[in-house]
Amino acid sequence: MSTAEPETDAATAASITIGQPAPELRALWLQPQTQSRIWAHFAEVTQVADRTAEWIAHGPAGGEYRWRTEMTDSEPDVVRWASGDGADVPNAGVLTFRPAPGDRGTELHLDVRFDPPGGAIGEALSKLFHIAPREIVRTALYRFRALALTGEIPTTDPQPAARKGGADR
Amino acid sequence: MRALCWNGINDLRVETVADPEILNPNDVILKVRLSTTCGSDLHLIDGLIPTMQAGDVLGHEFMGEIVDVGRGVSKVKKGDRVVVPSFISCGKCWYCQHDLYSLCDTTHPKPELQEPLLGYPTAGIYAYSHAFGGYAGAHAEYVRVPFADTDCFKVPDGVSDEAALFISDAAPTGFMGADFCNIHRGDVVAVWGCGGVGLMAQQSAMILGAERVIAIDRYPERLAQAEAFGAIPLDYTKVEVIEALNELTGGRGPDSCIDAVGMEADGTGLQHAYDRVKQALYLETDRGAALRQAMLAVRKGGTLSILGVYGLMDKFPLGLLMNKGVTVRTAQQHGQAYVPRLLEHAQRGELTPAALATHRFSLEDSPTGYHMFKHKDDGCLRAVFVQ
Repeated sequence: MSTAEPETDAATAASITIGQPAPELRALWLQPQTQSRIWAHFAEVTQVADRTAEWIAHGPAGGEYRWRTEMTDSEPDVVRWASGDGADVPNAGVLTFRPAPGDRGTELHLDVRFDPPGGAIGEALSKLFHIAPREIVRTALYRFRALALTGEIPTTDPQPAARKGGADR
Repeated sequence: MRALCWNGINDLRVETVADPEILNPNDVILKVRLSTTCGSDLHLIDGLIPTMQAGDVLGHEFMGEIVDVGRGVSKVKKGDRVVVPSFISCGKCWYCQHDLYSLCDTTHPKPELQEPLLGYPTAGIYAYSHAFGGYAGAHAEYVRVPFADTDCFKVPDGVSDEAALFISDAAPTGFMGADFCNIHRGDVVAVWGCGGVGLMAQQSAMILGAERVIAIDRYPERLAQAEAFGAIPLDYTKVEVIEALNELTGGRGPDSCIDAVGMEADGTGLQHAYDRVKQALYLETDRGAALRQAMLAVRKGGTLSILGVYGLMDKFPLGLLMNKGVTVRTAQQHGQAYVPRLLEHAQRGELTPAALATHRFSLEDSPTGYHMFKHKDDGCLRAVFVQ
């Protein structure tokens, strides 16, 4: 429904419903601090200018991938971004807000497409980042919903465990 | 601090670990006063639930005193004596607002581990593997409790620590199971299992107006406790359960059947042998003797309320449910919906959960406590750890 092409390793879509009005959710999404928190399982995101963010994603064995994204337009129900020239892993995202039925609030539909270097497909991207794009996107939406509804993102880092010197980090 | 840790299949040790910290604004730190064993811990300890990690702190049924509060906490405060349900619930999402607290939409730190298994992540739970959130457990001196304003319930005067302890899990799970039965005047409720949850389900069914409650188990001391609560005990090793239930209900069958046994059901006969073999080979995780019997026993159009914890079961006789028009209700406990009411029932002496506390141990001796609990030595119904 959201992407014209079937979900592949490189193009992934996810949806989530949040019991709040779209304008509030959009405002929260656009806060720089929100971006750095909801993508933290995948990348360090730092706002560098009004509509520009720098992303650093880590792969296995010390691999590091950088790119900058630019928000390309700003319609009321849509947020779009795309990486600029020189991105290590070119990518683009579209977030659409739609009213949910009844009193359920707002549906968020997120499509993200990665174009890995050399046009790799299949498992390649999961290996690049050590996390599948499907998980990147779904977890980000889950974290965003938690933040919107509760003001916090669930975590167990750090907490007591009989390993790694007494705490799981 | 000291904590009971799982280090591998049947390898429990009390170890020194870091103290928990406040990580989010709505967290509190609880100094644990009492915690207890739960039958569902045995699935973890025996390695039937994947995504446990060596070193995980166990324990999801507990009460204690608040010793530190996050800046977002307003309803509870330092020094409060509180009981905490096993599932972590935010109180803000659609599920929490519809009293479906164990299905909370926001408290799972690792949703990507659980979503492939269940379709959607549930609430996080203390000490129930990383697929269920990976939160550290409460068999420890201290435990971190998120969303304290929703999840910490002040224990009123007149309710002892031991009574409050089981209002963390056994009592709300049992009460929810009875609540699922939508009990009407004249109803007969049969409960498979006289462990902590089963006994609480039996007492709850009486509170909710059941005419007659029948308790099924094999251990004499557990059946005696059920009888002391006012239930009719049935020892399934001595009587043919279906025939006995038929006799006790004038051929109608129980209006509702509650399964408070779960995946490690004992049983008799060929089906039990089949289940044991499949479980040993990890082809199925569940031995479903109790559930299958409950499905056969329940009256036409009756309710089957499933509280036992299950993973995978094959040979599930779905046709029984369909042809008899049975309503199936099941959930992990929506504790936050029931705890206030249960504390009142306990205060009035209608609910007597402290009866479950048959054996007490220091935290240092908790591995011994689990051993006794697992093997039901000395009539051990629940081992309570005093911190």
